[in-house]
Amino acid sequence: MTPEPEEERVAARLRDATHRLFGRSLHIRTVDTGSCAVCESEIRLLTAPHYDLHRLGLFFTPSPRHADLLLVTGPAIRAFDRALEKTYDAMPPPKLVVAVGACPLGGVYQEDEFVHGQLERVLPVDVFVPGCPPSPLALLQGLLVAVGRLAEKVGAESFTTLGDEEESR
Amino acid sequence: MSEDTTARAEHPMAGTSSLLLDRTDVELHVRAMAQTPGVRFADFFGSIEDGELMIRLVWGLDREQEFRIVRWPARGTGYPPLSEVAPAAFVEECEIYEQFGVSPGKGRALNRLVIPPRAEHSFPRLGEAPPHDRPLPHAPHYVSGEAFEFPFGPVRGVGQESMYMGLVTSGEELIDLYLLQWHKHRGIERRLGGEEVARALFVVERTEGLSAVGNGWAFCRAVEAIAEVVPHPAVERSRGVALELERLYNHAAAIAALCQSTGLVVGQAQAEMVLEQLLRLNASVFGHRYLFGVLAPGGTSRAADVDALVTLLPPIMDSLRRLVDALWSTNSFLDRLESCGVVTPADAARLGLVGPVARASGQDIDTRRDHAFGPYGDLAVKVPVRATGDVMARMSVMVAEMEESARLTLDLAGAGLGAGTVEVPPATGSALGWCESPRGESLLWVDLDAGRIRRARVRPGSVRNWRSFDDAARSRNVFTDIPIIEASFWLTVAGLAR
Ligand code: SF4
Repeated sequence: MTPEPEEERVAARLRDATHRLFGRSLHIRTVDTGSCAVCESEIRLLTAPHYDLHRLGLFFTPSPRHADLLLVTGPAIRAFDRALEKTYDAMPPPKLVVAVGACPLGGVYQEDEFVHGQLERVLPVDVFVPGCPPSPLALLQGLLVAVGRLAEKVGAESFTTLGDEEESR
Repeated sequence: MSEDTTARAEHPMAGTSSLLLDRTDVELHVRAMAQTPGVRFADFFGSIEDGELMIRLVWGLDREQEFRIVRWPARGTGYPPLSEVAPAAFVEECEIYEQFGVSPGKGRALNRLVIPPRAEHSFPRLGEAPPHDRPLPHAPHYVSGEAFEFPFGPVRGVGQESMYMGLVTSGEELIDLYLLQWHKHRGIERRLGGEEVARALFVVERTEGLSAVGNGWAFCRAVEAIAEVVPHPAVERSRGVALELERLYNHAAAIAALCQSTGLVVGQAQAEMVLEQLLRLNASVFGHRYLFGVLAPGGTSRAADVDALVTLLPPIMDSLRRLVDALWSTNSFLDRLESCGVVTPADAARLGLVGPVARASGQDIDTRRDHAFGPYGDLAVKVPVRATGDVMARMSVMVAEMEESARLTLDLAGAGLGAGTVEVPPATGSALGWCESPRGESLLWVDLDAGRIRRARVRPGSVRNWRSFDDAARSRNVFTDIPIIEASFWLTVAGLAR
């Protein structure tokens, strides 16, 4: 099976950026805040042979404590707030949030009593990947942009501050 | 008991009949129906009509090729506890209580479904809130003696939907399992109220995106019945192609998940390649990997690329056959599937299961054949049935269904595919639409007022089949069997929580 040229180009850039910035490993945690199950399907395919995220130095992790990046689907259901907050808080800084699909952009559900409608109301989002659903290739593109953002965050991070100062920032 | 003559009668539709009951006759009716062989409990829901709660019960009379919709006004008194006679009705009893505040008799223990535990009394519902929300019956707890509860979720594995699973275990063996799904309740039925049909279809497709065509077509059929329009046969064939393509990719995804859950990495990679090829086929034929937006009220919005279909599908089926042959001869894989997650035929009938899960447990049902719609009347759909009800039987049913779907797809394409819509005038009335989604029968009951939705009941196949998941998980299984059973059911939380 030969990958499409477009896939190869995105993949190569993502691989280079991850290697440079993270010494070959960036860990991703996924969380669903009310998706229709299709965005999950595309996310699962990222590790399938056509896309093979692992060869790029990106890995999924079941634990938020090991995660650098949170991949979020769904319109941010209010009843899920606590679970989302706990997942996000458990991740060590610097951390990234990538919003997957039209749902977290507010394109499927308007804000109402059930949903926030936009993920940004509850989490600082670094990158939105539009699409309903975004294809795995679009997700790779989104991850590439996010990896660049993380570089900025790492640059801004002070590694000499103590815990207390960290809190007050 | 009387035939329907009231102002808000069900819309007469081929394949359905309706009956208005007195509240006092309900129990007798349910007892009689539940004991009639070949009668299947299909759905049970409420709607507010002229300020009063009307309850509807849908029976599938599969041998008579008919859905019988029975209704009665609940006015204060509610209804007798139907789940005592028809156990399949339990979840819907809980739902009617939660959404409309009417309970089946005093003091019945009901489960909480989609109202979050700390929700205010004002939490949005379809009708009036009950005087007290029942406490969470299954708050995480310690079971005395040797078992304890292992909480899993709501945030679960990679690329998995959110849901809370309470696994009660003594360490290895699974003693009990329960599911909480309020984390994903988006109030779909409530938000459909007041919508125009085109916008409503957008939401129906996204209720359970993996059954977008199945649920969407059922919705379109209900709307078209009310408006008394029938799409052109060639357009119906296009819808049929979309439905079969949806089944193909879903079953491929289930097989990939089965390989993953049993740790068969090579098989998983092969299955994912087939899955990706099927999704790309969808995109080539209909312009969307998951077939969103193909359907439109009155027809389809896009023409199918028939050339792409007939040239690309056969080689994909060849890869699938090679994969399946290899899987059937991998003993370490088959050992995990055999006798795992058993649903007995008696339970499948008792709980009103549908789709591949029901067929793997001896239920010879398929709405494409038993309640033929669209192009299926002419197609003689072959329905695979297995008796053992284990994961192996479900996989075997799915594989056989994929072969049949490929055949149907090419037959439909051979007969000529059309695109476009007939005009659907804004109409008033209610009707039931149905379709055989990859997860089984989808039912969409729609009540329109001059083309706007007054009430839409969305019952994807997932709702019925989750009902037996705990039984399947309990039957002589250990912890690590749960992901295998979940893969073989291939349901969605989105479809359940709505
Ligand atoms: S963005 Fe679209 S595909 Fe993704 S979860 Fe939302 S509705 Fe489903």
